[in-house]
Amino acid sequence: MTPLYILTKKEYVQMFREFKIIWLPLVFMFLGATQPVVTYYLPSILAALGGNQGITIDPSMTQQDGAQVIAATLGSQFDQLGIMIIVISMMGIIQSDKANGMLDFILTRPVKVGAYIGGKLLSNFSFIAISVMLGYFVSYVYVNFLFNNIPFLEMILAIVFYLIWVLFILCFTFMISTIFNGQGVIALISIVCLLIFKIFSGLHPIIDLLNPAGMSQHAMMVLITGSIDSHLYGNMFITLVWITLTVTFSHYWISEKKYHKN
Amino acid sequence: MKLHYGLNDFKDIDWLAVLQIAAPFIVVGLILILIALFDLYRHRNERSNVLLWTIVILFFNTIGPILYFTIGRKGEKPNEVRN
Repeated sequence: MTPLYILTKKEYVQMFREFKIIWLPLVFMFLGATQPVVTYYLPSILAALGGNQGITIDPSMTQQDGAQVIAATLGSQFDQLGIMIIVISMMGIIQSDKANGMLDFILTRPVKVGAYIGGKLLSNFSFIAISVMLGYFVSYVYVNFLFNNIPFLEMILAIVFYLIWVLFILCFTFMISTIFNGQGVIALISIVCLLIFKIFSGLHPIIDLLNPAGMSQHAMMVLITGSIDSHLYGNMFITLVWITLTVTFSHYWISEKKYHKN
Repeated sequence: MKLHYGLNDFKDIDWLAVLQIAAPFIVVGLILILIALFDLYRHRNERSNVLLWTIVILFFNTIGPILYFTIGRKGEKPNEVRN
């Protein structure tokens, strides 16, 4: 019964009470299913909308590869709506504890700041990772059903790389939630910064190396090309450094009690 | 673009093929709506704009329940651990 275990359990009880444990996986399953189904029906949709305007569709163009569809699930569903939903559901992770005095109360007990941060990150990351993986597997099942099969190993590798980017999203939101006090400000700053990271990924190899969103790009590349890019390990290392930096900064901010309003 | 469909066009749709693909969407959407409505009903005395949220949950499919869960759960009891 270490403090880490108790704090992790408390977070899970909280998620259960808020029904978060049900709706967040459902939302990710919905996002994961959207991309394959819309891509599958795209020729019919185009035909229904542009049928009498002389638009014809080359049948060979509409034959999409399954790997491309599942990569598009990661790139255009999880990286846009998914980021927003993760940030909005996690924006109160520290802020609400600050607002109702729970953080001050916990720190009067013999609990280390590290155990508090660890419990928060462990519970929330394990939960988000399971949600994202569920959504991804739903997408995988749909792609296998509607398109062609994807090699199992590449699928697993891609989701592992993608989860490192998800861990960065969580740690970044965590840091912003520690520093600022308004929920709207936290959501705005986190979403804008993370989407800017995402936009800058893929522009230039050197920028990609420093950019945590490069992990998402690499996950898509593994799916599409089936081989691991040589820059991946450097990018993974630098992303882990970024994660360590954000967590260290949050640790410093809480242990120095800088979160008090002036 | 054909805008007007008659009742006879229903027969032309291959319902089995459509349902195979659409059923998970319907189930997920329904579960989300039911959980959101259940939560709203349980806390009906503590929430503001209960009627407005009911309409949003019922008619804005899948986005409505998500909005309720993320930003609609305000105004709970002040002694709860997290609001």
